[in-house]
Amino acid sequence: MANPISALQAVRRTGRFSTAATPRVTIEEITDFGLLQFAAWADALAETGAEAARVAGCSACPSPGQSVRGVNGTLLRVEPLKWWLVVPAGAKTPAPDLGPETGAVLDLLQSRCWLRISGSLAETVLNHFLPINLGSGAFADGAVATTAFHHTGVTLWRDVQGLNLLMPRSTARSLWDLLSESARQYGLAEK
Amino acid sequence: MSASRLTKGGRIDRSCRLGFTWDGRSFEGYAGDTLASALMASGETVLGRSFKYHRPRGIMSAGVEESGAIVTLGAGERAEPNTKATMVELYDGLTACGQNAWPNVRSDVGAALGLFGRFFSAGFYYKTFMGLPPFEWGRGTGIWMQYEKLIRKAAGMGEASRSADPDAYDHVHAFCDVLVVGSGPAGLNAALTAARQGKDVILVEQDFDLGGDLLNQSDPVAEAQRRELVAELKAANVRVMTRTTAFGLYDYGTAGLLERVTDHLAVKPAHAPRQRFWTVRAAATVLATGALERTVAFTNNDRPGVMTVAAARAYLNRFGVLPGRNIVLSTNNDSAYVTAAELARAGANVTLVDLRDRVSEVHMVAMKAAGVEVKTGLAPLKALGGKSVAGVVLARPRGKSWAAAETLACDLLLVSAGWSPVVNLVSHRGAKPVWDKDLACFLPAPCADNVVMAGSAAGHWNTGDCAASGIAAAKTAMGESAESPALGGAETPVKPLYEVRLPGKKTKSFVDPQHDVTAADVRLAHQEGFVSVEHLKRYTTLGMATDQGKMGNVIGLALMADALGKEIPEVGTTRFRPPYTPVAIGALAGRNTSSHFKVLRRTPLHDWNLRHGATMTDAGLWHRPWYFARKGETITEAYIREAATVRDTLGICDVSSLGKIAVQGPDASEFLNRVYSNAFAKLAVGKARYGIMLRDDGMVMDDGTTWRLAENDFLLTTTTTNAGKVMVWLEELLQLRWPDLKVHVTSVSDQWAGVSVAGPKARSDIMACLQDPAAVSADNLPFMGVIETRLKGGIKCLIARISFSGELAYEVYVPSDYGEVMMDLLWETAEPMGGCLYGLEALGTLRIEKGHVTGAELDGRVTIDDAGLGKMASARKPFIGSALRQRPDLLRADRPQLVGIFPKDRNQTFNGGALLCKPDEISGFGEGWVTAVTYSPALGHWIGLGYVSGGHTAWQGKAATATDPVRQGDIAVEIVSPHMFDPEGERMHG
Repeated sequence: MANPISALQAVRRTGRFSTAATPRVTIEEITDFGLLQFAAWADALAETGAEAARVAGCSACPSPGQSVRGVNGTLLRVEPLKWWLVVPAGAKTPAPDLGPETGAVLDLLQSRCWLRISGSLAETVLNHFLPINLGSGAFADGAVATTAFHHTGVTLWRDVQGLNLLMPRSTARSLWDLLSESARQYGLAEK
Repeated sequence: MSASRLTKGGRIDRSCRLGFTWDGRSFEGYAGDTLASALMASGETVLGRSFKYHRPRGIMSAGVEESGAIVTLGAGERAEPNTKATMVELYDGLTACGQNAWPNVRSDVGAALGLFGRFFSAGFYYKTFMGLPPFEWGRGTGIWMQYEKLIRKAAGMGEASRSADPDAYDHVHAFCDVLVVGSGPAGLNAALTAARQGKDVILVEQDFDLGGDLLNQSDPVAEAQRRELVAELKAANVRVMTRTTAFGLYDYGTAGLLERVTDHLAVKPAHAPRQRFWTVRAAATVLATGALERTVAFTNNDRPGVMTVAAARAYLNRFGVLPGRNIVLSTNNDSAYVTAAELARAGANVTLVDLRDRVSEVHMVAMKAAGVEVKTGLAPLKALGGKSVAGVVLARPRGKSWAAAETLACDLLLVSAGWSPVVNLVSHRGAKPVWDKDLACFLPAPCADNVVMAGSAAGHWNTGDCAASGIAAAKTAMGESAESPALGGAETPVKPLYEVRLPGKKTKSFVDPQHDVTAADVRLAHQEGFVSVEHLKRYTTLGMATDQGKMGNVIGLALMADALGKEIPEVGTTRFRPPYTPVAIGALAGRNTSSHFKVLRRTPLHDWNLRHGATMTDAGLWHRPWYFARKGETITEAYIREAATVRDTLGICDVSSLGKIAVQGPDASEFLNRVYSNAFAKLAVGKARYGIMLRDDGMVMDDGTTWRLAENDFLLTTTTTNAGKVMVWLEELLQLRWPDLKVHVTSVSDQWAGVSVAGPKARSDIMACLQDPAAVSADNLPFMGVIETRLKGGIKCLIARISFSGELAYEVYVPSDYGEVMMDLLWETAEPMGGCLYGLEALGTLRIEKGHVTGAELDGRVTIDDAGLGKMASARKPFIGSALRQRPDLLRADRPQLVGIFPKDRNQTFNGGALLCKPDEISGFGEGWVTAVTYSPALGHWIGLGYVSGGHTAWQGKAATATDPVRQGDIAVEIVSPHMFDPEGERMHG
């Protein structure tokens, strides 16, 4: 099968892009991941959540604003009735088994670009655009938020590796440009 | 004024010399200087010219309230006018110049205007706007249009560069438990108190050093305490932001800050922004913003060499500059005494003039020890001198008036008429200042938000009280009970003083020097009926623009109160508005300029299209291919060729930007049946249907095809520009009107790369790219059929046989990351077939020939019947808009309806936007309008779409005119059916 082409492939580089000796912000694009949406009906929330957790390989589904890391991927509660399962490249998930009276599953593959922002000033550079408190006390490991980046809806969550950003594919390059331009003042490394 | 740099003292670094240019001449200062202190130390006295009268102006203060030393910084595209020299941190290579003067501020030709000053009183502009009597009585403003240019050139302030700002600016969001504004003794203690309790604290200071008024003191004990506090703040992880001004306070603890990142640097670091615009959300805010020393209105109180007492102390103790040798210091309060002693100890000959008859013995002893002569019961009546002060005439109160007294020679006249707490920020929150008669100043009123005032901003005049007040304010902000020290703190009460003048004398005594507003202007405003404080401000310009009432507000109010025979609180005060100090437009814009002005949406085929010669155009936030010109082709030649090629062989067009919404759930078909005007309940799996959706009011909202992919899964497409609107609309319907329906809608616009392959050879092209070519045979995929299959290489794809062009056509969708692979496959086959890539312009031609509507026709004023699609409005079911589309006016037979338009002379063309009229009634709005025009290669002449009363059947055999009085004139046209090419649709079904 032909190789997929990421929205950021044309602009993504590897290296350091600033005058700072030590990069304090690192931006990494994670490609070839899977994205599956589980949407529940209000009267079948528990069943849909349980199925989402089963597919993700975790013991329980996350509550709103939270994520849980499972064996097969990270399950994010992105809306009161919706979960997104982010599946890293190479991971296999069992096929969802959700009856129409319980909920709906939707494959959102390639609708988003995934950036991981890390480093000592990762929160600062993201706060150039995101109007939410990203301090580790307010936005701890596992926290999830749907917020706006330059008037574009994005999904954000924190894990042990840093802050993760899912951006709509069509706006990814614009947002990447803004993020990397702003990050250079702090010392930027791109992976 | 004969200022000079002292050989020692101050906070400047004498080992670090900095060169700078002022008005084209070279000077030197030291690290730690401001532009004002360096110029003062260099003996420069005239640094500005006044707004209207071009009077010479010098340094009046040492802070943001400066009204004299207003200069232009930088040059060329980086020129920044109206900058206060007192706030500019000196750096090596700084360039500044005077403004509103020719040839320079020292010798300004415009000063001749001062001779006519009596004609430029308050309301001058308004009065001249009314026409020049007697020539224009009753006729308005004809002559004004001529002399306006001269007036605008003669008056005003600096001139901004007309070039684009070359610097970068950032926006940043921050959050904290306690935001402390101001780093004087109150602010430092407030921040530390909160930090000690584990709060996340941000401390904001507009200066480049921490300490506020402590920086201006000479007491080594105070300095040691300052250093200790600063060190402890850093240890407590307080986020300290110097060179940052809190310019506004907004709802829910939100503050606007402006951080000057590189303004003070000779060499700007790569990638660093010039300034950052911070939006800080704080649970609590402590405002320790200090107080500004007031001056007083007396004749020539704007002469270079007249400044505030506090300013002189700052120049002496902080910058090591003795601002004068022979100094008269006028006061009505205790705060001036310490400065008088310090100036005397520095070598100046100081005479202190106190309006009060008695002062405390402590002060008298201190003055005697310092060698300061004290004169009581006196105030300044008139400053002598031209470009620098040479003396002062004093006056003594006589009843409610004044009598001239002695004259003193001096080279520096310092004035202190009391203090005004900086209540601007709390005023932004709607807390109206309250007049305190004892302290003779406005004090901040309690604020409904968690905003607490501290220090001199709250009315504490002593350093110790300010520190205690800061601690109490922090505790209050954190919800603890705390008691602040008593207000005030002077040993001898202040004696209010706002103006000194002799009865019947008309002189220039300034209330707001920045805008050349005099005491006489305030009285004139009163005489002319502008007695409301808001009217006073607007009529006289008192306290407007960059000053924002810092210097003259209280004096202006006092004079108005006097004129009205009222007390100051009865007159009231204007509400301060953000920003406290000017904010560059660039900082407001942040990075949202140029290519970042709005986010650009790129289709998955964006780069592929560009590599294959596309010229792009905007379609909402998207860039879409407009046309693919061959070498030497114009846009017209290109789109005509592309449209003709589609009709002859095939063309491929990127349609990825169409809105795509997944509609899922057991009630999805019922939902769509309610949303669309036509029936969707029985749409079979594997079929697509064109649908029209109306607004509640019966007007057309959007159109598109919906594909049934499975029993409970639909893919709904929208027009490119309405995708967001439709998505929001569907969510609103589900959440608010029909929450009982088990339906979810999800935008999948970005998930799919889509192309339209259109033309007689479209099927052949697609077959060559599929693993199973038979999947798109006429039998397997009839018109309006949908299949899921795979391209060569195993790429999953959706194919729908639908047509916008009127040709045999397919839309092919693949996951976005495989978009380019799909295009390579399709184009590799299409090109040898004689096919082409086509853009929006050719797409427009093809759809106009067919009479298919787009946003140009569906403009929000059109019913489904107007668009010729009335048959798609089901009579058997209710749907959104079905009731209100039946309103009588929407059913009128003479409503404008969609028509085709041919020029009568087929060699002519006409314009989109032209009005359609009867040839003998070319007036008003006519009978209709033209929405789209193109050259039709299929028909061989120009054609158009539009709306006209009654539709094309009403115009059969009748002449019509497309009139465009602005651009083209009148063109005779024929009104025809909108289906101008292949009306039976044989090609599409072929």
